[in-house]
Amino acid sequence: MPVALSSDIPPATVIPLQTPSGPMALWRSASGRLSMSADRCPHRGMRLSHGFVRGEALSCIYHGWSYSQDGHCLRIPAHPDLEPPAAIRVATATVCETGGVVWLALAQTESQPPRFSHHTPLRSLAFAAAPTAILVALNGRASADGSMQGELAGLSVILLCAPQPDGTSMVHVLAPSDATLEERLAISSATEALRRTAETALATEAAA
Amino acid sequence: MTTGAMRDEWYPVGLRSKVDAGGQQTMLMGEQIRLRETPGGAVAVETADGRALPVVVGHGHVWTSLGQPTRPLFAIPEADQPGRRLVEVGVVRVRCSPLRAVENFLDIAHFPFVHTDILGAEPHTEVERYEVEIREKEDEVWATKVRFYQPQAAKSASGGITTDYMYRVPAPTCSVLYKTCPARPGEWDVITLFVQPLTEELCDVWPWMALYDDVTPMTDLIHFQQMIFLQDRSILENQIPRRLPLDPGMEIPTRADLTSVAYRRWLKRHNYTYGAQLVAQ
Repeated sequence: MPVALSSDIPPATVIPLQTPSGPMALWRSASGRLSMSADRCPHRGMRLSHGFVRGEALSCIYHGWSYSQDGHCLRIPAHPDLEPPAAIRVATATVCETGGVVWLALAQTESQPPRFSHHTPLRSLAFAAAPTAILVALNGRASADGSMQGELAGLSVILLCAPQPDGTSMVHVLAPSDATLEERLAISSATEALRRTAETALATEAAA
Repeated sequence: MTTGAMRDEWYPVGLRSKVDAGGQQTMLMGEQIRLRETPGGAVAVETADGRALPVVVGHGHVWTSLGQPTRPLFAIPEADQPGRRLVEVGVVRVRCSPLRAVENFLDIAHFPFVHTDILGAEPHTEVERYEVEIREKEDEVWATKVRFYQPQAAKSASGGITTDYMYRVPAPTCSVLYKTCPARPGEWDVITLFVQPLTEELCDVWPWMALYDDVTPMTDLIHFQQMIFLQDRSILENQIPRRLPLDPGMEIPTRADLTSVAYRRWLKRHNYTYGAQLVAQ
């Protein structure tokens, strides 16, 4: 499932995400490698998405415990000479990036996420609406790969909707690759209008 | 929801200096309560249905209980020493378990990361071995010989020093910290954390201090402590689960966490579980 846009997670940053497997922390190392881990430090339960990235490790903001991309604890600052036991680790998930979109593998899979040859990422918005209501509001088509196609501001767009555990959706908007700045701004505004429509009861009822 | 053995303990519910005849409303362990000053100058506390609760005034605060306390309010003899300034810091509301608030107060390993360049700074992150015990006679948790390097240990400190600490837990939601006094070597500054459990996942924290510091304006002393606690709040409101796990398995302690380990063990031994998470849940 699509979880973020690559441009929203620059090197040495971490962000929180809601996924079907619970709250996760998505982070990019200084060298650019992307990783995802459970959003909870096993030491004292602090959210790792509040932490910081240094080099190739994610550190918890509470006590500075740092974790590698494979989830193993690398360092416990209170005990600098201690080699952390292998049992101290955070659960990780498999993520990959194609065409500027970050995808989470929900299960062991050989299949690759879809590629969109004529569209590039524009922005992500949270909609207080289910994907079905968003499709109705867009008056668009659902593809077999899970994406939605339609028109906003008179231009072809692709929406990638990730349903959230609370019934809302995170919507990643892709605009035509050759769109001008003005066209991209127009799609951006039209997406906000789409959101207002999708969030009204009418659209929700029509979808139901 | 059960209040368990913690029902019969004393809890802070307001600053004594702020209670007047007009009264004030607050909450204790899920019950609405009302404080007011009586014509005779005492403080009365009662529940919404008019039940009078036991009251004691001490350490700058009004204390009450929904149950029947069997012990007097714990004493802090050092705070009574002449020459100390008593600092009423006020209240900080935190969406966390009252027990998590106390545990965080007992922790020094977070100083370099949460109170950066004030109570700690990298690379001075090591927590040296210290001593922890449950004192059976007093029935209190004590941590002694705690030492930590601090860039600005107190408002009155002008540079980095290695600070000595002692921690004491005399009641399930209260802790007293004794700390190197920069202005008067050989004496201990007293910094307390009194936690009012509003619910199992919401609390009002009342820091209070008894310091040897004749120089720093009162406003600065209060601001310093409020700044520290607001930094802690960003942690406390983001721990999962919200309640303090008392059974091993959910969280991983190290040697630096010995005070926390003893605190959790002491809570469990007394069935002090309001704000705790047990395996059975």
